[in-house]
Amino acid sequence: MGRDSCEAPFISPATLRWLFLAVIVVVWELVPRLGLVPSVMLAPASEAMIAGFQDFGTFARALGITFGQLASALIFAYGIGALAGLLLGSVYFLRETLLPIVSSIYAVPLVIVYPLLTAWVGIGPESKVIFGALYGFFPMALSVAAGVQTVDRQYILAARSMGARTSQILFQIMLPASVPSILSGLRIGGAMTAIGVVVAEMMAATGGIGFLITQNRTMFNTAEVYFGIFLVLILTGLLDMFIRLMERCFTNWYPKET
Amino acid sequence: MAEVTDSMAHAPISSEKFDLSVEQVSLHFETPNGVLKAVDEVSFGVETGRFVGLVGPSGCGKSSLLLMMAGLQKATFGDIIVEGEPLTGPRPQDVGVIFQESSLLPWKTASENVEFPLALRGVDKAERKQLATDMLKLVGLSGFEDRHPFELSGGMKQRVSIARGFCQDPRILLMDEPFAALDEQTRMTLGDELLRIWEGHRKTVVFVTHSLTEAVYLCDDVIVMSAQPGRILERIEIDLPRPRTYETMATADFGRLRDRIWRLIRGSE
Repeated sequence: MGRDSCEAPFISPATLRWLFLAVIVVVWELVPRLGLVPSVMLAPASEAMIAGFQDFGTFARALGITFGQLASALIFAYGIGALAGLLLGSVYFLRETLLPIVSSIYAVPLVIVYPLLTAWVGIGPESKVIFGALYGFFPMALSVAAGVQTVDRQYILAARSMGARTSQILFQIMLPASVPSILSGLRIGGAMTAIGVVVAEMMAATGGIGFLITQNRTMFNTAEVYFGIFLVLILTGLLDMFIRLMERCFTNWYPKET
Repeated sequence: MAEVTDSMAHAPISSEKFDLSVEQVSLHFETPNGVLKAVDEVSFGVETGRFVGLVGPSGCGKSSLLLMMAGLQKATFGDIIVEGEPLTGPRPQDVGVIFQESSLLPWKTASENVEFPLALRGVDKAERKQLATDMLKLVGLSGFEDRHPFELSGGMKQRVSIARGFCQDPRILLMDEPFAALDEQTRMTLGDELLRIWEGHRKTVVFVTHSLTEAVYLCDDVIVMSAQPGRILERIEIDLPRPRTYETMATADFGRLRDRIWRLIRGSE
């Protein structure tokens, strides 16, 4: 992500990034106000905010529900995904038999199983957590498996010569050596989990932001719909911050800006 | 084909006087073109406290032999006896290995890398940290305890590897071309450092290298191997007095010994 030229740019990329966001908000406000687009299709930013704060209690409750579901789904997606990836990547037999199957399933649009899922566990929070976790599991497991497979054999030989047991090699060599791929798993898996949870809420649910968006859309409450979308963005922004924090914590051992 | 002149290569070996004895060891691989004899009926013993070099052309099986002596590779035939008992797998208290620099764990600091063999054994954190600090001081890396490998030069990384090997504190240290990736100057300096540390600890050492100068400079004995099949051609005693210095390399004896090894290797090809 280094700069292309040696010259200092006119404005710093970070400033430019914020400026870009500000422009989007201004356009969002002005386009419907100037009558370029009917406000039933695009509600101005200020109206969306006002609508949201007038109905603050409802949105706050929905945000709480979605946040809880997303957090639980992430724990399962990351935890089970990392463990599965570790095993799939490191155990020869599993790598040869199961890994190709897992990587094929990843290509399937899993949304097709959601109706079945609601039939089994109902349309409450459980189905959101399971569906979100399912969505995030595959990229997480596949990233970790890919990372584990490319661990330098020298590390393993050295550890074995020092008397490391299989479990020590797995958790003290394979796992830390795969940190870069685990982080990319966190990123892609996290995004997929968020999609899973919100989509599930939009299809059939009793609460959550996805549910509110769908409900308001059917009533043509455009401002409320946009506020819902805004909240989803906030949530994914938080997730992104969490992943950046992880990256900062776990990647102090390789050079930045290579 | 050169004659095997050293009686030791064929005489039966009594494992009692040796820290390590390699007895009729072969390593064969099945290939589409038949059986490849990477190591073929190799026998030798290494006495306690001796520094023994293993040289030969590439493909002579010296690195495979080292892996077998570390218990990391199973021999097709024969036994490797360490401390009177045949090796069946890694035995870290008896045998340690110093690999090339790439075997340092990049996510661990210099100190944590040196501590690692002790951590695997469950040695208390404060105790192993102290041992690692002392060992890093011995290799001239005081103040670098908290650096990660990417912040160290090639020579420094190899110093950390050496410190790790000695910190593991096995009776026998095997070294697999530990200086191969380094430039000439660093190589020379590290060779001297290694001798200094070894003279303080007197471990039994088996040192695999492709540098004849390095072999003659460091070792008490040099075992010369031939390639395909990997066999011992001769075991040459390096009777140059210790401590050896840069001047040792300029002596006629040094040149004569290196020349003899060179002729053996070239003659076998």
